[in-house]
Amino acid sequence: MMISGGGGGGGGKSSWSSSTSSWVPTTSVSASGKRIQREMVELNNDPPPDCSAGPKGDNLYHWIATIIGTPETPYQGGIFFLDIKFPIDYPFKPPEVVFKTRIYHCNVDPDGRVSMGILKDDWSPALTITKVLLEVRSIMTNPDPYNAVVPGIAHLYSGDRAKHDDIAAEWTVRFAK
Amino acid sequence: MENKRMVANEEQRRSPRNQKVPLTDSNGQNMATLFSPRFKSAAAMAGWDEEALLLASLIVEDTPDRDPKHKKRYVLHSKTPPNSSRKRRAQRSPQAPIPVVLDLDAEETPKIDSGRKKKEKKACVENEGKKACVENEGSKVGEGGNESKEKNPGDASSSSSLPCIDKLRDELSCAICLEICFEPSTTPCGHSFCRKCLRSAADKCGKKCPKCRQLISNGRSCTVNTVLWNTIQLLFPQEVEARKEASALNSRQQAQNLSPESAFFAYLRNDTQPLRVASSRSTNSMRSGTTATTTTTTTTTTSTQENEDAALARMLQREIDEQRSLGTTRTRLARLRARRGGRGVSTSQHEDAALALRMQREEFMQTYRGSSQEQSSRLTSTSLARENLRAMASRAMNRRR
Repeated sequence: MMISGGGGGGGGKSSWSSSTSSWVPTTSVSASGKRIQREMVELNNDPPPDCSAGPKGDNLYHWIATIIGTPETPYQGGIFFLDIKFPIDYPFKPPEVVFKTRIYHCNVDPDGRVSMGILKDDWSPALTITKVLLEVRSIMTNPDPYNAVVPGIAHLYSGDRAKHDDIAAEWTVRFAK
Repeated sequence: MENKRMVANEEQRRSPRNQKVPLTDSNGQNMATLFSPRFKSAAAMAGWDEEALLLASLIVEDTPDRDPKHKKRYVLHSKTPPNSSRKRRAQRSPQAPIPVVLDLDAEETPKIDSGRKKKEKKACVENEGKKACVENEGSKVGEGGNESKEKNPGDASSSSSLPCIDKLRDELSCAICLEICFEPSTTPCGHSFCRKCLRSAADKCGKKCPKCRQLISNGRSCTVNTVLWNTIQLLFPQEVEARKEASALNSRQQAQNLSPESAFFAYLRNDTQPLRVASSRSTNSMRSGTTATTTTTTTTTTSTQENEDAALARMLQREIDEQRSLGTTRTRLARLRARRGGRGVSTSQHEDAALALRMQREEFMQTYRGSSQEQSSRLTSTSLARENLRAMASRAMNRRR
């Protein structure tokens, strides 16, 4: 029953694509494409502060974004590149957001994956990439040591904030400029 | 004397209810003085008699404020006078011919000497709503305004685009697909989304409101917020239409893409009809079994769109044409059933029509098959299947009712 792809979700792809070479997107896929396109237009019309985003190439489901480090944070002056990958059943599943630029942050794992509630269980289809980017920017200003993925950094952040900031600023100079 | 009568007329004008009685009395005497000779000749040419003219003017005079009201009154009054076809003609079209007279008057007034002017004025008083009169008499300004008001509604209605349409667009957009809500459904917490979007969200992201994360009791049973939907249809007819077309197209495409081989089989069916008939005999019994199952699928499931049903019928036909093992057909049917099962229940006329169409097709297919297999020894099993099919279909129809 599961292989039926019955719900009309992106799951339909796997069951059919094997049998045909020219697979045409089903409803939900084009719906996600439409939604992403719409988000792109809205982002261009009304970009969030210090952020930009857009498709990397022809693929609408693969974006690249930049966030400029907020002043008066250790990340100030840095330009951080992020990769955004939309799942096929976006907006019902969260996008995957990965820092391409190295960043010293307790909520960003060594591979750059951003650990945020709204990108996991707290995702809501009403969220947009704009909101996600704003949220990323906000955790860069205010890290969340209680939901850290790098415990060492979180520990330093809560214990010795000055040292943490120094290291973060150093990383910013080294990798993000 | 002239002045007095004018005053009297003014009074009559102000108390329109009393107006009718004295005027009909003095009708004969007044006529000569009330209308200018040229007006009268023009009226005669237009086929009015004087009584009708007077009456018409009276009624127009009666309610100078609003146009629709005036028309209503007019109809009421038109029943009182004795019926003559000429009168009726005049009464039926009081507005169209009068402006002609009006122009005539307007031309004439400047030429008329002071002695005739009062008559003219009275004619104006009686005939009302004329620009010439407005020019002559200050008291008539209200009617001039009335006339301009009559013209205005057309202009007002043409400029229907609201200044806040962009804000409205934002407000009436679905947060999930970011488009104008299509068949909006409102959550208990007061947020509205497209019905489909909300259902998908409830299916895939849990039964929480996408906007405020409040629990939605049952995302499956979302109903359309009629008021909102109607409002959206009124405000954004193009978007709604485009969306309807898109969804129709989508479902058609989806049905076609559902089985990649189907295109091949459609092609096969179109080109190699005789071959198919010949080969169909060999798989008769199997097919009859399949049809029975397909019918159960089609009759028990409910769909929302007619063209989807058409597409489904096409698919079923293809499946039946398919000379594959029963197993593959069965799995596809299972898929189909799963697909259709996911859809909500809706009872529309379209659905019934679609069902009727389906039944007709099934029957046609059955009879066609019957003729092709007359020599076949398996007649009994097919007829049995047919009987089964009919019974199931009628049951389904009954249940629907």
